[in-house]
Amino acid sequence: MMHFENDERATSADAEVARRQYLTFFLGGEEYGVPILRVRQIIELGAITRVPAAPACVRGVINLRGGVVPVADLAIRFGQPECVPTRFTCIVVVDVALDDELTLMGLMVDSVNQTMELADGDIEPPPSFGTQAGPELLLGMGKYGAKFVLLLDIDQALGSLERPADPAPEPVAASAGEPRGADA
Amino acid sequence: MEIDRTLLLQTFAAEADEQLQVMEQGLVALELRPADAELLAAVFRAAHTFKGNAAVVGLEALALRAHVIEDALDSMRTHAAPVSSGAVSELLTTLDTLRSELRQSLAREPVDLAGTSALGPDDGAFAANRHRTLRIDAAKLDRMLSLSGEISIARGRLRAQLAAEDAHGAELRLAAALETHLEADRLHRELQEEIMQARMVPVGPMFRQYQRVVRDLALSLGKRVALSITGEDVELDTTVSDHVRDPIMHMLRNALDHGIETPERRSAAGKDPVGRLTLGARREANSIFIELSDDGAGFDTQRIAQRARQLGDERASELGEEELLRLVMEPGFSTADGVSELSGRGVGMDVVRRNIDALRGTVSIASRRGQGSTIGLRLPLTLAIIDGFFVEVAGETYVLPLESVTECIELPSDQRTHADGCGVHDFRGQALPYVRLRELFGLGGAPPRREHLAIVRHGERQAGIAIDAPLGQDQAVIKPLSKLFHGIAAVAGSTITGSGHVALILDVAAVLDLAVARAPGSRGVTDSSREVA
Repeated sequence: MMHFENDERATSADAEVARRQYLTFFLGGEEYGVPILRVRQIIELGAITRVPAAPACVRGVINLRGGVVPVADLAIRFGQPECVPTRFTCIVVVDVALDDELTLMGLMVDSVNQTMELADGDIEPPPSFGTQAGPELLLGMGKYGAKFVLLLDIDQALGSLERPADPAPEPVAASAGEPRGADA
Repeated sequence: MEIDRTLLLQTFAAEADEQLQVMEQGLVALELRPADAELLAAVFRAAHTFKGNAAVVGLEALALRAHVIEDALDSMRTHAAPVSSGAVSELLTTLDTLRSELRQSLAREPVDLAGTSALGPDDGAFAANRHRTLRIDAAKLDRMLSLSGEISIARGRLRAQLAAEDAHGAELRLAAALETHLEADRLHRELQEEIMQARMVPVGPMFRQYQRVVRDLALSLGKRVALSITGEDVELDTTVSDHVRDPIMHMLRNALDHGIETPERRSAAGKDPVGRLTLGARREANSIFIELSDDGAGFDTQRIAQRARQLGDERASELGEEELLRLVMEPGFSTADGVSELSGRGVGMDVVRRNIDALRGTVSIASRRGQGSTIGLRLPLTLAIIDGFFVEVAGETYVLPLESVTECIELPSDQRTHADGCGVHDFRGQALPYVRLRELFGLGGAPPRREHLAIVRHGERQAGIAIDAPLGQDQAVIKPLSKLFHGIAAVAGSTITGSGHVALILDVAAVLDLAVARAPGSRGVTDSSREVA
């Protein structure tokens, strides 16, 4: 059940167009938006293969048309309880800049809401507190009607995940007391 | 018109590269066999053709330079000038100039010449990141095309059989469809084999490129060395081939720098003043072996032990010869006392091992003090597919490389002892340590009533990996994992199962390392129980 697919490349930005389109979705009761040119596909939630020692907010990997794509749980990234699958849960596949390279990554979201157009004037800087996602992970707050949508900086939120360096958590019985500087 | 010029230049660039290599390799060989008229003629022909081709595409400066080389070769041909070592050196230098001029001229052309190695970075023949192209025999492509055509026909028949009206009864129809499907399967395997075959390249051209390097290095070190090459026809997957270039280079440098002695020392030791290096390849079952042997001094195990003690390994004095040799491949270990121009920059054999590990290969060292050493690389035939042993743990599917699994047995329920997932199983009278993947990977849930144990072997190590159930063996097409996961040593890659789900391919050695690191009272990650051979 593929609802939506985007074949436009992210380069078609017309300098004069100050209005940009965003795809919005709900996560933990808040509405978030990502630039639609970064969205490749929306798919229903299927089986996710867990990857041992992966960053905490990475739920695992999925098969996306023969390619293997990691799926992130933004709720965990924001320090919230993990996303609990319902029948509305979707995976939004986006392009994320990882080490200066665009790579596909899935975002687990509670539900997809709508696409909307925002002019640059409709966007305010993120508040310094009060949102689940810290201000460093937001591009700004989009205003529409009487509501706000939190515009996510997906490169910041997902491109800068700490990589697993050593999959071994510290052995508990450290009788010898050897300090090893692993940040597990 | 413009297209014609592009085509012309592309052909010229590809051919020029080949001719430069023929000239270079020919000259190096000529130095050893100055009387070989045929060889001289071949080098001359290459220079002549280069000159002609350069003139055709209007690169006059290159043609002139080639003409100079041609002239010098001609006077050697007519015995007007001797084929001396000095003359060869001079010609090689001119050749280097020609090569860099070629690169500059091509770079100035307003056409895209990516894919021609003449445009590679300055280290020429050893360009690692050049655009990857492969020449394929047209007959091979024809076979692939006809196979894929046959597959289409079989699929069409299958569709017809499945859609047919029930004239013969469902069972008959299904049986026929299954037969067609199996036929298509067989064709598909054939096609896959053809494609893999097309990716194979002989090691000869790569090996021959080292002749020049060895010659130049030996000269700069004041040593005399002859490199002989065996198994030139052995074929290797093009990706594997690209990735062993640098490790072999490293091994050669090591052998020249630390292995082969100076002519005086060799004479004093009663050896031929000319050192012998042998670079050979051979195929065995599903592996390729590449070996580099030298008849030099061999590894100095005393110095290795000394260095190990310096690095804080207090057990170094108790280690045997073989174990000491393995230490050489530990990260950061190098026996070079001073930093020489060639090797010994603190990166030595460990770099070789890391590269070969990444290819799922293994490195072994054999050495005899005073008599020489042999470094062996065992490499898989291809990187695209492995024979996998599929297992199930906590609802997930994992793939163990079949080559490291020796057997799979049922784990007697009375043996499940430890809570941390590790235990010891009495395996035919031997105490076999095992680790339960469920606990190791933190998958949660209780193990099933009947568990199984996959017996794995890596190097000298044998251990068990406790799994819920074996799912059988099959080929696994390797899919790369996101960069996000590159630090996870235990996961080598992923594949997609028949049901369309992702299954992780495990690195058995890293899984065992992880188990060792987790074990209570372990000495930590640098535990030297990690095997290499």
